Amino acid sequence: MAFREYKIGSRMFGLAFGTSMFITLYMPAVDIQNVSATSIAMDRQLSFGRVGGFSYEDPFLQGWAKPITVQINQDPKTGATIESTRAFVYEKGVPFPNGIRHPRILGKVPAAASESKGRINEASEDQGAVFIVREEVDGGVMVPYIENATATRGWLPSATLAKASESQRLHVGKGKIMFVREGCWWCHTLLPEQTQDWQYFGAPPMLGDFNGESPTAFGSDRKAPDLTHVGSRNSSREWMMMHFFNPRLVQSHSIMPRYDYLWGEKDANGNTIDYDGWRAAYTAYADGKSIYPPEVPVPAADSEARALIDFVLNLK
Amino acid sequence: MAWKFDNPLHTLCTDDQNEAAKAVWEGESLGGITEDNNRLPPPIIGILVLTIVTAFLITFPLWGQRPTAAIYEEYIALMDSPAIQGKSDAEAMEYIVNQVKASGSKWAPLQERHPLEMDDLRLIKDAIIELQRNGSDLREFTVLGDRLVLANFEGNLKADGTKERIQPWWDKGYTIDIFFIVIFCLGVMIVVKRLPDYGWEPSHHGH
Amino acid sequence: MFKYLFAKAEDIPAGSAAIYFGYSSIIWFVIGTGLGSFNAAKLAFPDFVTGSEILSFGHMRQVHVLAVILGWISMAFAMAMMYITPALGNTKLWSEKLGVWNCFIWNIGLSLGLFLLWLGVSSGREYSDMPFFIDVVVILGILTPLCVNVFMTIKTRRTQGIYTTNWFFGAATFMVIIVFSVGNSPEFFQLTGLTEAYLTWWFAHNVLGLWITPVAAAISYYVVPKVTGNPLYSHRIGHLHFWSVVVFYSTPAAHHLMSAPLPEWLKSFASVEGVLILVPAIAFVSNLLLTMTGKWRMFVENIEIKFTITGVLMAIPLNMQGGFQQTRAINWYIHGTGWIVAHAHLALLGFSTFLEAAAVYYGLQTLLRRKLYSLGLANFHFWMLLVGFTTYWVSMTIAGLIQGAGKIYEVPYIDVVIAEHPYMIARWVGGTMVFLGNCVWLYNMYMTARVGTAIPAGRLPHELAYER
Repeated sequence: MAFREYKIGSRMFGLAFGTSMFITLYMPAVDIQNVSATSIAMDRQLSFGRVGGFSYEDPFLQGWAKPITVQINQDPKTGATIESTRAFVYEKGVPFPNGIRHPRILGKVPAAASESKGRINEASEDQGAVFIVREEVDGGVMVPYIENATATRGWLPSATLAKASESQRLHVGKGKIMFVREGCWWCHTLLPEQTQDWQYFGAPPMLGDFNGESPTAFGSDRKAPDLTHVGSRNSSREWMMMHFFNPRLVQSHSIMPRYDYLWGEKDANGNTIDYDGWRAAYTAYADGKSIYPPEVPVPAADSEARALIDFVLNLK
Repeated sequence: MAWKFDNPLHTLCTDDQNEAAKAVWEGESLGGITEDNNRLPPPIIGILVLTIVTAFLITFPLWGQRPTAAIYEEYIALMDSPAIQGKSDAEAMEYIVNQVKASGSKWAPLQERHPLEMDDLRLIKDAIIELQRNGSDLREFTVLGDRLVLANFEGNLKADGTKERIQPWWDKGYTIDIFFIVIFCLGVMIVVKRLPDYGWEPSHHGH
Repeated sequence: MFKYLFAKAEDIPAGSAAIYFGYSSIIWFVIGTGLGSFNAAKLAFPDFVTGSEILSFGHMRQVHVLAVILGWISMAFAMAMMYITPALGNTKLWSEKLGVWNCFIWNIGLSLGLFLLWLGVSSGREYSDMPFFIDVVVILGILTPLCVNVFMTIKTRRTQGIYTTNWFFGAATFMVIIVFSVGNSPEFFQLTGLTEAYLTWWFAHNVLGLWITPVAAAISYYVVPKVTGNPLYSHRIGHLHFWSVVVFYSTPAAHHLMSAPLPEWLKSFASVEGVLILVPAIAFVSNLLLTMTGKWRMFVENIEIKFTITGVLMAIPLNMQGGFQQTRAINWYIHGTGWIVAHAHLALLGFSTFLEAAAVYYGLQTLLRRKLYSLGLANFHFWMLLVGFTTYWVSMTIAGLIQGAGKIYEVPYIDVVIAEHPYMIARWVGGTMVFLGNCVWLYNMYMTARVGTAIPAGRLPHELAYER
């Protein structure tokens, strides 16, 4: 006689657990896999780079090996004036995002367009590349695709970077790393809800808006405004700068921590930032002993604060 | 003694214990979870049944959870009516709402739940008219600010082979749920009824 | 502990692994709740300890969460498994040495993982934040040895049949390995987009549903009959509980993303299954409360029963919330608000912690053969935990309702922050009470090991509770 409680029990267990795994893992995976990427998804992953969290190229989340998003008005190859174009510069050795590495995750149609029209399969991480997100009508439908401008237009990463002034460069990829490392997403969600939220925080994302992005850092515990469209609500770099340095400067009731330590040692002019002096002056201001708060130092171009501000302003 | 590596499913029960278990299996009613062992008190069985029923009732398609474009169709139609020319936005909106309510719209409860202002209406007007011109089913579109977005629901097949984007009563999720619960009830009855004798005393029959 | 790592198996006294796990879990509980109290202070007073990256809220929040889940709760589980499984099988733990090693690697791996997390080395996915090599350590170095030990102990048991508790222990240790492996697959295989988001929440849901909830319940299936002396009311209802956990609790992962753009059928499916979580809950609560028949005096008199039954009673509001808050009809209001934070603490700090604390109290006394040092301090611990938790839960629930209203009525967000502020302070007060209570507990258990009265052979600790 078989050990009935084991025989029936273990088979039933396998059946129950297996069925629930089939329904909750396999079936949604098939559905999600068939979703085509939108141009939003392409823009996001190209500006963020391969991974926004821990990765081999950036194990301590310092923002190493991330792309730079630029807004250029001149053709980097010919020098001719072109209409303002948003391009994603991957310098030599910067890992490409997942949509370039595995185009099938963009969905059938966009992947085919990206390969045939955009020539993304010719891009190589050893040489670096410049990408652009394009949309073209194909068969009555708007098809977004990624264009490898290095192959199609001869835009080299270094030349493209050179055409963008400091203010036209956005360190969005590094900023996303800061967003994850500093735990911004523990309070600020990146997911306006589908039901009522849009009235205040803007349109919720759609099914294909995330293909290729990792991590999505939706957040779950909202203690602060949703940031998905924050760049559209408030595009002031000055305000962001003050807010990150000490949120109470611009919003006296904020419970956000100060992120002044992201400024590093030197400000944009190369002067050493006197944190103790600043805090003492701020305390005097907060206590009503002085009328004006101390001046907030402008972050240096390569500082972490600048990257985070770029990332936040880029959330449109 | 307890485990035989050559026959891992070997029983520790004696044949007469198994026969007794089978007799219980044959003789029990109500799937066996209420008898032989201690009875589950009837109120608790009631709560369990209530839970399963509630699970479906509370999650059944809640029409109107999100505003669809269809509920504003009548508003849009009235936007150009001569009666509201010259009125302020607030007055015009009030007129439109009252007019639609008076005409006995089938969307009345939803319109009440998702009120709009004239400016909101202007934002979606062109998109709704565009959809009407294409002959699209407005119920498939959710209104999100100034955008009309195709919902992710999967309904009946349309003539062109695509799926309706309206939640049907047989929603795939619910269908799987029903299947799942039926299998669960059957499975639990089989397993629970076929449990071997349980006792704290070790019994070393023949070992 | 270290001297047993390389000792001969027969030289390791039975129960060593469980004792090490027990004390480790209490220490992690003190650390975890201390971090929680510190974090809550930062939410209440944003300029409290400022200007330091390493002490900023964003670096410490996840350390608190994982220290409590993987340190306190899971180690208390391991402790319970290492003495309850053999006890129910009338046998010894299959390998005491494996257990000691398990505890050693667990502490080292968790410390390393939390240290990295503290530095900011995070995968950016809630609850599975640790970088992938730490996940590998968790799967292969922590969960697999535990699973092997539990399974082999069940196999080598000397009783007929398997008691409900061991069904849960065996299944949960197996399922949590699957859950960890699949849930962290976005890192192992670089999955992206909605797949990654969904798997993140699939993990977060199932680690609760297939690990924390069933194991906590399984512990009380042992503690209540053992301490009261009543047999379990119904073995079969226990099985109804077991099977409904496997079937219903493993499926509603998508209800954490009801407002995200997932396929709608998945949300419909998940929300029905989410309500059906009430089936195991009802089976569990009714079974245990009916087991108490005739012994309700012990709810007042006995510290283990006091903890356990409080935890069982908390399962009622916990599951009523959990079942209904995830439906489309309610989720839109409270999603992402403090309500959910309160609910998560009801599950981990309310329901689950109270059940495990009872097991650790009871297990350490039994294994050390020593009576509790001070019953008064244990009662103090109980009330600090209960009052602290209740303060936390009530304040965060109110804060969540305020946030929900603010969301629906389009209130400028800063007004919500202002309105929530008193509740943030209350939350900090509640969390701090829990922390202080735990410090007392650690002292009490330390003194128990040092100077507790020896329990004579053949007696059970709770029988002696009121004897001096």
